[in-house]
Amino acid sequence: MTEQWRLLQTGFTNAYSNMAIDKAILVLQSEGKVPPTVRFYGWTPPAISIGYFQSLVDEVNIQACERFGVDYVRRITGGGAVFHEKELTYSIVVPEVHPEVPKNILKSYGRICGAVMKGLHQLGIESEYVPINDIVTGGRKISGNAQTRKLETVLQHGTVLMDVDVEKMFSLLKVPNEKIKDKLIADVKQRVTSMKHILGKEISFKEVAAAMKIGFEQEFHVELIEGRVSQEELVLAKQLEKDSFSTREWNHRR
Amino acid sequence: MQSHSIYKVPQGKLLKISLEYDEKKNVIIDIRITGDFFAYPEEAIEYMEKKLKNTILERKQLMEQISSIISDCHIEFIGVNAESLTQGILMCKL
Repeated sequence: MTEQWRLLQTGFTNAYSNMAIDKAILVLQSEGKVPPTVRFYGWTPPAISIGYFQSLVDEVNIQACERFGVDYVRRITGGGAVFHEKELTYSIVVPEVHPEVPKNILKSYGRICGAVMKGLHQLGIESEYVPINDIVTGGRKISGNAQTRKLETVLQHGTVLMDVDVEKMFSLLKVPNEKIKDKLIADVKQRVTSMKHILGKEISFKEVAAAMKIGFEQEFHVELIEGRVSQEELVLAKQLEKDSFSTREWNHRR
Repeated sequence: MQSHSIYKVPQGKLLKISLEYDEKKNVIIDIRITGDFFAYPEEAIEYMEKKLKNTILERKQLMEQISSIISDCHIEFIGVNAESLTQGILMCKL
């Protein structure tokens, strides 16, 4: 029988809640209280997430975020700053010992990115994994990914770009040198793409989620059964949101 | 003395070091290691920052200290390594 994992579609929530839910799933999955889980979600309001090791004030133009109503949050995963607006974000939480997940961290990035690539294929987009943590199509980035391992559990989350506004992104992120900002924007425009750009039309979150569901099922040889966030996960997520992800201590800690 | 460096690790990530050091004694007073790299477990970076205090700012001593912290804490870095951390720290001295 095909192994069954849980699929969570938690819709669009704010940055603190989004990061808190991912961590809550990780904690409760590590205790065996919830099954291995794939989650699809979006961000309202739009938000910047920064990698665990990044300095908030070095990376994020906090005044601009406040002016535009964009939240900012530190992730529990490493990697770079991401502006989350028109995208599907996924997370996958699975025990480190699961036979489908390579022990080697870099290899496991490749495997999980494989699920995203199979999902993109469902939408008619061919892509490839570029280590360490990118998926590119036609040489341009369409997905960024970040993984942590805690409590003998793998959590990887990543973004699949549906549309991208590089100018807006750079108004929210700090650039090392204002003088080269225009060149930087031009460079990044050349290096980043989106589903809208490739397909020449808008595509709905629902369509992308349906495609990604198939991608994860194919890659991991599982069936994703739509489920709900458990009561215990909800309570823990609320607590993590309040005590950690929404706090100055957490977000400004580096 | 306060100093910063930004080092794009070859085949790796962007490493940013903020360093406070004693010029006379040539030792680290305080250090902050930031950037878009990955490290497992993540919390080990804070331990490393603590353990690097009072380390002599020379390549050999830095390499030894960083390597021993990596091995003590079983840290797995992706996108940076002991060499690039050493390099990033030494770049603060220039």
